[in-house]
Amino acid sequence: MTFVFVNGRLVGQTDDGPKLAKALIIDRRAGKLPKGLNVRFREETDSVMVNADSGRLVRALIVVKNGKPMVTKEDINLLEGNHLTWDDLVAAGKIEYLDADEEEDAYVALTEKELTDRHTHLEISPLSVFGTQASLLPFINHSNPHRNVTAVKSVQQGVGIYSNNYLIRMDNDSMIAVDQQVPVVKTKMYENDAFKTHVFGQNIVVAVVSYLGYNMDDAIIINKSSVDRGLFRAMFFRPYKIEETKYIGGQSDYIKVPDKDVIGYRSEDSYKFLDEDGIAYPSAKVESGDVLIGRVSPPRFVSSIDKFRLGVQKQVESSVECRTGESGIVDNVFLTSTADGNKYVSLKVRQERRVEIGDKFGSRSGQKGVVGMLLDEEDMPFTYSGIIPDLIFSPYSLPTRMSMAYLLELLGGKVGALGGRYVDGTPFSGEDEESMRKELNSYGFRENGVETMYNGITGEEMKTKIFVGDMAYIRLKHFVSNKIQWRARGPIQLLTRQPTEGKSKSGGLRLGEMEKDCFVAYGAAMSLKERFDSDKISIPVCSKCGMIAVYNVKKKTGYCQLDGEDAPIKLIEVSASFKILLDELKSVGIYPKVVVGRKV
Amino acid sequence: MEIPEKYIKAYKAKYGDKADLEELKKIYERSLITAGEDVGVIAAQSIGEASTQLTLRTKHTAGLTVINTTSGLPRLVEIFDAKKEISTPVMDIFLKLEYAKNKQKIKDFADRIIEIKIGDLVSSYDVSIRKKSIELFFDREVLKAYGFTLRDVSGKLSNLKLNVHAEEDKLVVVDKGADNVKKLIKLRNKLTEITLSGIPGISRAIINQDKEGNSWIKTIGTNLESILQLEEVDISRTVSNDIIEVSKVLGIEAARNLIVEEVNNTLQNVGLTVDLRHLFLIADAMCMDGTVRGIGRYGLSGETESVFARAAFEIPLKHLVEASLYHETDEFKYVANNVMSNQVIPVGTGSVKLVVKEDGTEDKTKTSGKDKE
Repeated sequence: MTFVFVNGRLVGQTDDGPKLAKALIIDRRAGKLPKGLNVRFREETDSVMVNADSGRLVRALIVVKNGKPMVTKEDINLLEGNHLTWDDLVAAGKIEYLDADEEEDAYVALTEKELTDRHTHLEISPLSVFGTQASLLPFINHSNPHRNVTAVKSVQQGVGIYSNNYLIRMDNDSMIAVDQQVPVVKTKMYENDAFKTHVFGQNIVVAVVSYLGYNMDDAIIINKSSVDRGLFRAMFFRPYKIEETKYIGGQSDYIKVPDKDVIGYRSEDSYKFLDEDGIAYPSAKVESGDVLIGRVSPPRFVSSIDKFRLGVQKQVESSVECRTGESGIVDNVFLTSTADGNKYVSLKVRQERRVEIGDKFGSRSGQKGVVGMLLDEEDMPFTYSGIIPDLIFSPYSLPTRMSMAYLLELLGGKVGALGGRYVDGTPFSGEDEESMRKELNSYGFRENGVETMYNGITGEEMKTKIFVGDMAYIRLKHFVSNKIQWRARGPIQLLTRQPTEGKSKSGGLRLGEMEKDCFVAYGAAMSLKERFDSDKISIPVCSKCGMIAVYNVKKKTGYCQLDGEDAPIKLIEVSASFKILLDELKSVGIYPKVVVGRKV
Repeated sequence: MEIPEKYIKAYKAKYGDKADLEELKKIYERSLITAGEDVGVIAAQSIGEASTQLTLRTKHTAGLTVINTTSGLPRLVEIFDAKKEISTPVMDIFLKLEYAKNKQKIKDFADRIIEIKIGDLVSSYDVSIRKKSIELFFDREVLKAYGFTLRDVSGKLSNLKLNVHAEEDKLVVVDKGADNVKKLIKLRNKLTEITLSGIPGISRAIINQDKEGNSWIKTIGTNLESILQLEEVDISRTVSNDIIEVSKVLGIEAARNLIVEEVNNTLQNVGLTVDLRHLFLIADAMCMDGTVRGIGRYGLSGETESVFARAAFEIPLKHLVEASLYHETDEFKYVANNVMSNQVIPVGTGSVKLVVKEDGTEDKTKTSGKDKE
């Protein structure tokens, strides 16, 4: 007896499971059942699983009968003549969608050549075994699968044009590449309209050579003169948002240029970019610390003295300023209102991002790296014909990764650039290495792509022939200028007096428990103390009762709250956090008596 | 400074007549640990750094007949925590020479020490609340293979003060006092755990042979106390890997040596070498009060003298409240509490102090209200 489940729920039994599954599939192909319905007979649990719910990943395959695909040459001709559509083929049961469950029982041929009688389905194109991202990568059938996964992740981080209406969008972390090109080595996926408007990457000349040591360990060297000409230039947009909130009691925020009597007024210079409406004007060149949107708020706490003060209450400055370490040009200002009817201002600062040392770049074969050096054109190596590479890639990145797609794309790019055509790098069906080599040879180059190169600094000929070619590189979204952070002195936390944490608060780098152990193991006791002196305070302690006393440094007098004026008071140097610990011990009812010894 | 005799001997052996003892003294003093060196932290780092690499490298060899002992990081954690029940207790039993060469005698010995329980022989049970009885069914062939009869089994049950009688191939145990099924099931579980023969705790014994043809037995499960009492066993070489058990049977020094050996073996198995002296230090610290204490909340770290060091480690409030109840004093002698209060740690350069005496008289500065430093 076979159980039948529909959408995971037991609905009944049948005597012959395989027969039911087969019948359902035939009905689906005949159009009697929905196309999204999938059936599978599970032998191990003796049950028929029928699934028609949403959320299953499905993929389209050509149905095969007796070793012959149902989609015939005639159908393809009709399709090309626009007499037939995809939906017609699906409706006719010639193409069907399989989900992960039904796919288990399908025997899918990759190409028409390998079809046998046992096959049940045929791939529409070998490319369709890959997802959207993976099918953008050329020659990945030659690479290590792990590299292809890395390549997909790299491509996802590429800076391009993520949306065509980016000018009126207020996305966080939005970056736009100024100039994009369609890669010379394409796959069939690039024919898709979406990739014609969302192009990413640039075709550049790459030399695979170890040069001056600046491209060791996955680092790359980029031609500074190419950067000056605009290579890989990107724009970075930083949105700022502010709301004119209304509070209970008729009080409200005001978006305006703050008056000088406002609490927390900055210098007049900080407000120089604000228009009369309190918002910085577009095209203003702002630096970090400049106010972008001026705002005043009612005071948060009414202190006891303020109650007796006559006249209007003072307001508190609560403007939005340009982030520390960032600058740029005010790009766009948007005025709107929130659902509560409050005025809402958002403003976007645009910053041009040139390539600099530390920016990340990647190819479409999982070879990503950081710029180790920007070299002037005259210092870069050059070929016999005078070609100067835009980028120098380290050959030591190749043997362990085995990413052959990199080399094939480099070769293919060279062929395409010389021949003035696009090269098809579609996995499984693209151009093969032999024909590309022959074509390269016919242009008068060595068929393996290597060329004689000269050291740019000394002019000497390099002893080895260098592999030079053309390929697409992508600038990845990790810019150093977004990540760089330093601090010598800076803000501290109110409670513990320790340095703040995090880049946005210009915090310090924590010397943690294990790092502390290194100081201890080395025996550097004084260095360790000095390192932790950031919250050092001096507190008066009564040597009689051991509690924290009161001490006036100027008058050099003090008293203890328990032992009075005559109490012997000593100043001890401890960390502020230790004083808090003592205070907290008192708050839980423990008496921490400090016994002060003699200072040695 | 006294130079140990063995170094003098080795030095003289190497240089003969040219041996200069003054030079040796210099070399010896230079190679000693300097005063104030925090050897504890260095030992901890030496093992800790190595064991972070070892996490990924533990291999699992499933399906082999070889005994699989816990290795890698899990084993290290087990040793340093001084776990009472380790996950794979193993013994190496060495026999006296007259037995070690005789294969048959070794096999007999191995068969003899394996613990056989009633549960190993029973094929099925029947629990009846109406008759207040438990019926244990035996397979005759299994019984024969192990060399037991039903009478042997019922004999083992005789001292339980229960009504036991044999019927064909089953034993019927009647417990008049059992008034519910729960009690009967409990009794059944008790019955199956009764040892028929062998030494309790030893579930398997595998005979190994070294290159010289001497055999020894590796067992799963340990019972050092009983094994050492057997006549055939070579007491001087037989070991267990259960540190707590060894400390009870052979004493604390044996446990200390076992800790060093086990840690060293575990590290060497994954290809790491840590200087033995670090392990000595840790093993000494674990055994210093006569019992094996783990390094952790309930061991070394939980029992340090300093209140703040203990509070900083785990469960601060508990330690602080207890310290206040017993009027404890923290002398600020350790690293943790001095770092906490931003004082100079008494380690390394912080362990020395300079006291200036003006014109040779004693420093008589006394604490007073005016004395502000």
